[in-house]
Amino acid sequence: MSQAVVSVNAGVLLPVLAPAIGAAVVLIADIVAQRLRRTHYVVALASLVVGAVATFAGLGMVGGDVRQTLCLSGSGQCMYAADGVTSALQLAALLAAGVTLLLSWPDDKKQSTGGTAVIVSLVLAATAGATAVAGARDVGSWLVALELATLPTVALVALRGARSALSGAVALLTTALVSFGLLALAAALWFTATASGFLTPAAALTVIDDPTRRPILVLAVALVVAGIGFKLSLVPFHAWTPEAYDGAPLPIAAFLAGVSKVAALAALLVVIRAIAPLGAPVLTSMAIVSAASMTLGNIMALRQNGVVRLLAWSTVAQAGWVVLPLATVSSAAVYASGAYLLAYIVATLLAFAVVAALVQTRGAARARDLSAYKGLVHDHPVLSAALGLALLSLAGLPPGVLGLVAKVVALRPVVASELWLLAVIAAVNSVLGVAVYLRWLRAVMATPDASPDAGGPDGAVPVPAQSLRAHPATLVAVGFAAVALVLTSVNPQLLLGLLGS
Amino acid sequence: MILLLALAVPAVTGSALILAGRDSSASSEDKANLVSLVASIATAALVVATVITRPVVNQAWLPTLGVRWQFAVDGISAPLLLLTAALGIAVVVHARSHPPHGGSSTTFYGCLLLVEFGALATFLSRDAVVFFLAFEVVLIPMWVLISRFGDSHDLAARSDASGRFVLYTVLGSTLMLVGILTLVQAAGTANLDELAQAHGAGLTRPTQVIIAALLLVGLGIKIPLFPLHTWLPPAHTIAPTAGSVLLAAVLLKMGTYGVVRLVIAPLPIGFGALAPAFGALGVVGILWGGLACLVENDLKRLIAYSSVAHMGFVVLGLSSGTTVGLQAALFANVAHGVVSALLFFLVGGLKERWGSADLATARAALREVSPRLGLALVVGFAASLGLPGLVGFWGEFLAMYSAWSPAPDRPQGLMRVLAVVAVTGTAMAAGYSLRVLRLIWSGDRVSPAHEDAHGGEWSVLAVLVAAVLVLGVAPGLLLNTTIKDVTAITTEVSR
Repeated sequence: MSQAVVSVNAGVLLPVLAPAIGAAVVLIADIVAQRLRRTHYVVALASLVVGAVATFAGLGMVGGDVRQTLCLSGSGQCMYAADGVTSALQLAALLAAGVTLLLSWPDDKKQSTGGTAVIVSLVLAATAGATAVAGARDVGSWLVALELATLPTVALVALRGARSALSGAVALLTTALVSFGLLALAAALWFTATASGFLTPAAALTVIDDPTRRPILVLAVALVVAGIGFKLSLVPFHAWTPEAYDGAPLPIAAFLAGVSKVAALAALLVVIRAIAPLGAPVLTSMAIVSAASMTLGNIMALRQNGVVRLLAWSTVAQAGWVVLPLATVSSAAVYASGAYLLAYIVATLLAFAVVAALVQTRGAARARDLSAYKGLVHDHPVLSAALGLALLSLAGLPPGVLGLVAKVVALRPVVASELWLLAVIAAVNSVLGVAVYLRWLRAVMATPDASPDAGGPDGAVPVPAQSLRAHPATLVAVGFAAVALVLTSVNPQLLLGLLGS
Repeated sequence: MILLLALAVPAVTGSALILAGRDSSASSEDKANLVSLVASIATAALVVATVITRPVVNQAWLPTLGVRWQFAVDGISAPLLLLTAALGIAVVVHARSHPPHGGSSTTFYGCLLLVEFGALATFLSRDAVVFFLAFEVVLIPMWVLISRFGDSHDLAARSDASGRFVLYTVLGSTLMLVGILTLVQAAGTANLDELAQAHGAGLTRPTQVIIAALLLVGLGIKIPLFPLHTWLPPAHTIAPTAGSVLLAAVLLKMGTYGVVRLVIAPLPIGFGALAPAFGALGVVGILWGGLACLVENDLKRLIAYSSVAHMGFVVLGLSSGTTVGLQAALFANVAHGVVSALLFFLVGGLKERWGSADLATARAALREVSPRLGLALVVGFAASLGLPGLVGFWGEFLAMYSAWSPAPDRPQGLMRVLAVVAVTGTAMAAGYSLRVLRLIWSGDRVSPAHEDAHGGEWSVLAVLVAAVLVLGVAPGLLLNTTIKDVTAITTEVSR
């Protein structure tokens, strides 16, 4: 069976191949010429752009259109398939990885630790994993691709070498291992139940009339939800998130919030789409997990004083919104979940990019602490406007129309299935979410203190405002994300259309 | 085209002002005022043209969600559009003589224009989802107005008031969104006209009741309906004059307008089931607001509570289910818009002159030192207590009349009780209005003297006083505008 691959369409696979080849090229180049640093980034960005362009063919495909490859000659089943939702998620992963690279662009003055080539190739490898898992349609490549998307992030967090980074990396590694265990078990159960290695509706449908195999499949799906729950930071599998975000370098935290979330959701959607025809109308476990994530994430985010931790808890809350539509199993729910994730990624990457720019201009002490944002609008009006738009989009309030439309999209399947309690919990959480992000925004808009150089929280040496300039690459990242958010807020169809219909 | 321009002008000018500058020198303040004055006058002209020509816009916007840009004008929205556009000019003219404190003037004027944009879009929208989006547009600008430009005596109170405003209204609008999505899902269309024409056909009674309940709670927060009103008094007390005026005269109207468009027209059976409770809460609001006004010593807060009472009459009229009741509600809606705008302009000016809005402090009698302010105050409170011949009378009188003879499917006994209780509310309105007049208008103290109104402030007050008188003498101007579309809703309902 494994030798029966007849068709390999490299064009269809290019979103996966491009970052993978990029990673290889970077590693080879590092062997050949060890002093290269910026070249690695250029190569990596080029490979991401190639991959992103390659997804265009699949964007916005309607109906049941798919681009398939790696098909078996006998059964005609394919191990890789990309439809509109898949392509849009791949595009999001590739662009988010690009923003991450821009944020971690090497500085001339500072000697980087850990080797540029290693960081770049790890980012590219994880991105290749993310795009691969979105298209994977068989258990084997699904599992391998998902781990490829996860394990490099552990190294990326740890490479900073600081104590907090190590504890974050350990939390991430432990999580990744547990999650892998659960998913491997789920894969085995899937195979047991369906006797098929394919994650397709056809495989799932073989179980429908068999009362003995059906519970096995249900258990497999439950394990998938748990395993992916770790990666998606869903309560109760969320505990690693604030540790890892706070310990990691800022660009890597942005990577965890962007690319890793795409990989996790894409993996989940593969399974959800496979079981959709079984006619399980409501995934109760998903509803509970979603409600708990939103509520706990928002409440904890309200109590944070560090902005990275706040963004980490906000990820937990937003992950709840991402899986909210999946409480109802349908193609509309898959679409809604994907759309919400894309909207979240655009806004959260912009927030991370602005924080990164502020770290560079004001120093970490004055950019990672919420109280240091007081009066930001007077020092950095443009960055403040970008941050404000990002926060309002996360909160789901105009002018962040994208976030608001995303909430409409996410609530539609829930309301259509008449899950009133869940809808009301979501409504209450949208209020909590507004409180979280307005708390930050209020600080940004406040009148600055009489003594602007209040220094760090522990009375550290005051850092003069605007002492340094942000790296141009960081500003490019801010500009790119800001333009994307403005355009999609003016016309959300630009983003919704990517997923097809 | 005119219609889209009427929306684009405030939206673009407002955004441009906010993004443009942070320069707070005097010259830039004048410039910002001039720009926003031109923009608001242009908007008003376009709105008038829109109301006269009644264009219809229908363009695809989010095809994957089936959301369309559908805008139109009818008799129900026309008065509110004109009111919004007129007050849009008034707040800018008023701010000319009372410049904002606490931040750059460009931000201030930009936020005013964005609030105007959101309100106009809400009243013009014919797509339920676009209605919701427009409903949300006003929140952040208004939050900025309160939290940046509000009363800076007590910063904690200011941030509490602005936060409470946003959180309450977001809760309301998200519940409303759930209701809207359910309605759209169940009825199969998001077009408000189609929804109104269907009159709930094809929707079972339980579905209608659930949707109506979600929508009424959501919109009730905005109206505000007792006991969901607690965000309003602090917001009004803290907000700058222009913010208070827009909040009372425009934002609250979006709530009652939403009830007409989203609940009464498309869900007659569901609303019929909940109308007695809705009306009863409105009447409790009348009493609660009246009682609070009798003892309240902060003048701005007092007017905020009187808003709760006046909106209670609107709710009572809506709940009666008759043509007269709906007419009364729409009239009282506009009447409250005019009167509360007048009173908030007045009180904002007085607070600036006095340094506080405390009624317990002895002040110079307005009659003696500032006859223009005194005249406007007398007219405002006389209208507020419902004196016949002024604008406040018709809406409240007709609302009580309609509650006395409600639609056949309403519990007549309960509605009559509500009508009687509402009458005691008007007595309380007389009590608190005269109390305020006695405390600050009459008397013969002449110190500490303060300036009378002149220039921009006086022209705004004079126009509003004139509106109070004209609509009071000739209520037909307004009632004839709305009657056709109101009958279209109620004749079907009473069938």
